[in-house]
Amino acid sequence: MDEKLLIVGVNHRTAPVAVRERLAYGGGEIVAALARLKSRAPALAEAALVSTCNRVEIIGVAADPARAIDEAVSFLAADREVDASLFAGALYRFEGRDAALHLFRVGASLDSMVVGEPQILGQLKLAYGHAAEAASAGLVLHRAFHRAFSVAKRVRKATLIGRGSVSVSSAAVRLAAQIFDSLSDKTVMLMGAGQMAELTARQLHALGAETLVVTSRTFDHAVALARALGGTAVPFENHRPYLKIADIVIGSLAAARPVLDPDDFEAVLRERRYRPLFLIDLGVPRNFDERLNAMENVYLYDIDDLGAVVTESLGERAREADKAETIVADALASFMRWMDGLDLVPAIKDIRVSIEQLRDAELGRHRAWLATLEPAERQRIESLTRTLVNKLLHRILAGLRSTGAGSPDPAYTAELARRLLCGELMAEGPTLSGATSDFDFELHLDDDEEE
Amino acid sequence: MDTIWLPPALVCYALSAAGFVAGRTANRPRWTDQAVPLLGAAVLFHTLDLVIGALKAGNIPVTNFAQSLSFLAWLTAIVSFVVMLRMRMQVLGAFVAPGVLAAVGAAMLLTRRGRLVIPDSLRSAWLPVHVTLAFLGDALFVVAAGVSLAYLVHESRLKAKRPLSRGGQPMPSLEKLDRINYRLLGWGFVMLSLAIVSGALWAEASWGHFWSWEPQELWSLITWLLYAGLLESRVAAGWRGRRAAALTLAVFTVLVGSFLSVSLLFPGKHSFG
Repeated sequence: MDEKLLIVGVNHRTAPVAVRERLAYGGGEIVAALARLKSRAPALAEAALVSTCNRVEIIGVAADPARAIDEAVSFLAADREVDASLFAGALYRFEGRDAALHLFRVGASLDSMVVGEPQILGQLKLAYGHAAEAASAGLVLHRAFHRAFSVAKRVRKATLIGRGSVSVSSAAVRLAAQIFDSLSDKTVMLMGAGQMAELTARQLHALGAETLVVTSRTFDHAVALARALGGTAVPFENHRPYLKIADIVIGSLAAARPVLDPDDFEAVLRERRYRPLFLIDLGVPRNFDERLNAMENVYLYDIDDLGAVVTESLGERAREADKAETIVADALASFMRWMDGLDLVPAIKDIRVSIEQLRDAELGRHRAWLATLEPAERQRIESLTRTLVNKLLHRILAGLRSTGAGSPDPAYTAELARRLLCGELMAEGPTLSGATSDFDFELHLDDDEEE
Repeated sequence: MDTIWLPPALVCYALSAAGFVAGRTANRPRWTDQAVPLLGAAVLFHTLDLVIGALKAGNIPVTNFAQSLSFLAWLTAIVSFVVMLRMRMQVLGAFVAPGVLAAVGAAMLLTRRGRLVIPDSLRSAWLPVHVTLAFLGDALFVVAAGVSLAYLVHESRLKAKRPLSRGGQPMPSLEKLDRINYRLLGWGFVMLSLAIVSGALWAEASWGHFWSWEPQELWSLITWLLYAGLLESRVAAGWRGRRAAALTLAVFTVLVGSFLSVSLLFPGKHSFG
């Protein structure tokens, strides 16, 4: 019964992009992947899959976390057709409290390559949406994700962590300024319509880059983005001639293999007369073959390279990050209380049912007398007894939960309370659990949340 | 026959070179900022030295190797000073100032040897014109080589993905370095061509023939062809960036070789020993 949150995965610190790109999932693949995961990792009671440029993580809930993690890892290896030994060394595994801490830190952008960058929250929300769609998220994951979102919101509000965030895209822009003297006579080409690519293009445009070409596998996307940025849309099949005139090419295509490879690129370079070419690869998997960087006057930066380039105003950032960590720690404590409270749920359910039954029985005994009363009076007695029951229950629950936080064995206390308050009912068997909806209990368990 | 103004010039050159190099390597932009006026001061002292030397000699003071080295260093300092201020390229100092310092230092050490008067055969109004054009061309090529060196350093850092100087002044963009290299080469080539033409005219006026296959003439022709090829490769084949910078340095080594060998190995009208 004692279920634990768990996380297993790789991120930009543990694995290079060469490994991450082999594990990464496209947004459209995740719901199906979760279905496969469910069937291949039976130890996982709940699961979500986060796949961004910088991390691939399986977030799950299991009674036996160690086994569930092993199953998740072998699923990942089989599903991505990657030898597990390739990424085993880069994996981090978190259980229980550590897993919740990790999830909250990720959501609050404390685990990001660029601390404070705002995109991760959206990506996490997307992952949650996928898990909900795949029906692989249950009570714990719903709760955990929502807590992560609210922590992120609070961190954003209470700290300066997101302000002036030196994002990967501005690193790309600064690099462009190291290669090109002026951007006004330069042509920017977007391959793929990714969010960060768009952001980078906008910044380059703001610095004077006038000519913009957008190409995308889905022509409509290219058209929409080109219209938004004031550029020209090009069908993907016709993109090659534009490589001759482009000075900065930003790749964010969801492509399984590189779209630019060195073998036919020499010809392109000759046609460009070796004008410098800045390739910004924001795709995971990468869009541009890394060997292109060795070619003459070609400068290729992938997402990891850009992250490494980002130099920050470290002092202030670190102070704000400390504040954020405190917020995360608070939220973590409250989440862990809730997780502990989950152990009490069956006992609480039984107690509630038992007291409700007492009330029903008493009302039933007086049914004849109640029938003689005016409807208003009958109503009054109804509500009076219900209030009494609720207040009593509330007191019991509060007592149980405070014991839960303080005593070494909340499960024992809960069992004791159950025996005291519904001893004779227990003889009838455990069928009572689940007699009422989870929803009522959640309301009671929720009362310390201030969302 | 150096004057009292050469030692202070040398000191200023030394301080400015140290400032440029330390500003770059130790990442202290303020040192670079102070190195620029120091270079200006060095050029001023150096100018005084050369003017006084010229007055004493009665013509442009390039009578021996030391003096010609000093004259070349002076022109190089002026060219790089102008490029630094006009193009806002202080980093260039780190790549050129040490060379200038070495040349002036060598000139000071060597200055007491060699002949000090201009032979009558060379006393002519052509002398300052021809010599200035030739040395200005050389100075432009020296600075072009410095810019190329800066390009290669910056380029290799970009390729190795360690591009941003840590908090210090950023390097000029590759595009700018490449463009300045091209312009310096272009002007240097013009000067070299004019020096050859003026030399030929002078020779025709003095000795009755344009060309006598002297070592310097031969070397000049070789370097002229090499620089012509360098410019042509850019215009025709689009060789630019890294390749252009590397070739600039390669041709520059030929130029240095010719300067040293003509001065020190082959006696003739052009040797300054």
